[in-house]
Amino acid sequence: MSIVTDLLARPGVIAAGEYAYRGDRFSYRGVLTEEHARMASIICRATTMSVNMEGGMLEALRPRNGLHPARGWVVYGPSHTVCVMANVFCMIDNAKGSINDIVRFMRGTLTHASTHLI
Amino acid sequence: MSMIKRLLALDGVNVVCHFRDDGNLVEGYGLMSRDEMTDLARFAHDYRRMAQGNADQLAMFTGMRGWTPPRGWILRGVTQSVCGVGNLVCLVDSIDAPLNDILLELREVSRW
Amino acid sequence: MVTLDALMRLPGAMAAFEFRGSGELLEHQIAYPDRLNDSTLDLLAHMCAANMSIATMQARGWEQITAMKGFYPVRAFTLVGFDWSVVVSGLHREQYKQDGKYSLPPFMGVVMSNENADYEAAFAALENQEPIS
Repeated sequence: MSIVTDLLARPGVIAAGEYAYRGDRFSYRGVLTEEHARMASIICRATTMSVNMEGGMLEALRPRNGLHPARGWVVYGPSHTVCVMANVFCMIDNAKGSINDIVRFMRGTLTHASTHLI
Repeated sequence: MSMIKRLLALDGVNVVCHFRDDGNLVEGYGLMSRDEMTDLARFAHDYRRMAQGNADQLAMFTGMRGWTPPRGWILRGVTQSVCGVGNLVCLVDSIDAPLNDILLELREVSRW
Repeated sequence: MVTLDALMRLPGAMAAFEFRGSGELLEHQIAYPDRLNDSTLDLLAHMCAANMSIATMQARGWEQITAMKGFYPVRAFTLVGFDWSVVVSGLHREQYKQDGKYSLPPFMGVVMSNENADYEAAFAALENQEPIS
């Protein structure tokens, strides 16, 4: 099974997808429309690029700081959370899902994901 | 003579660098070591991509035309400023440098 | 508002800090100064301020364009770094905003080792609110 299918099977995950670092492709499953999934891919890709570049800048100024290269990021909202690791994103209903479980699962599954295309 | 060198003829321009799409320095001229120019090129490359990513989202959310693709950026410090257009970046004096002229020239040279 | 001491008691906590919306590092505590020092934390605070602002722009834009709710206001932004994570929140500032106050309390954040990080505990600690006096 793909990581997206695995994620969607987890409690609280309402949508999940993957985007290409180049920005030309995305795929998804869940409650989003195609257009909203496209937008989510653009947003997630932009933030992933940003945090990686920020990490790179921090690394240049303070080598071996433990943050670079970034594995991912999480935005925790009032009732929904967006969790992104490597080029995989997922949207979680806070009332039904465990962010710790999902971050742990994604981090574990994507540990060796290549980041050189970022 | 490299075309980007002519930017150094403008008042207040201290350094000019040209970098590849991956951020690596192609050539640089002015009052800075090669290592520092490499860092400046990398910074300009990263900053450009971040600004572009944010502008793309602003355009997407607002549906407003005119923001993307961004033509350039200026980071204005107290005594030094950094200006970027395309794959070019300049380090200029903040006090006296004619920023409008510098941006026009950067745009012109970046097309070559 | 949560104290830095309370944040330092979170599993794997390396540092706890306060910072302004403009990024300046304010009060902070560091567990292992040989691994994470003041100047790195200062850079990190500025980075977190930028990420909170961008995440807020994204949450507002997303809600406006999709009509989906529950993303804004951003309660916390987390960067999962290679070995460490940083979680920052400014949710307690929302109450001040709603009460029409112009002077807002600082953002707060905690750096944790990935190995022991408990993100939900960090969110809960950072959202520990007290009524405005």
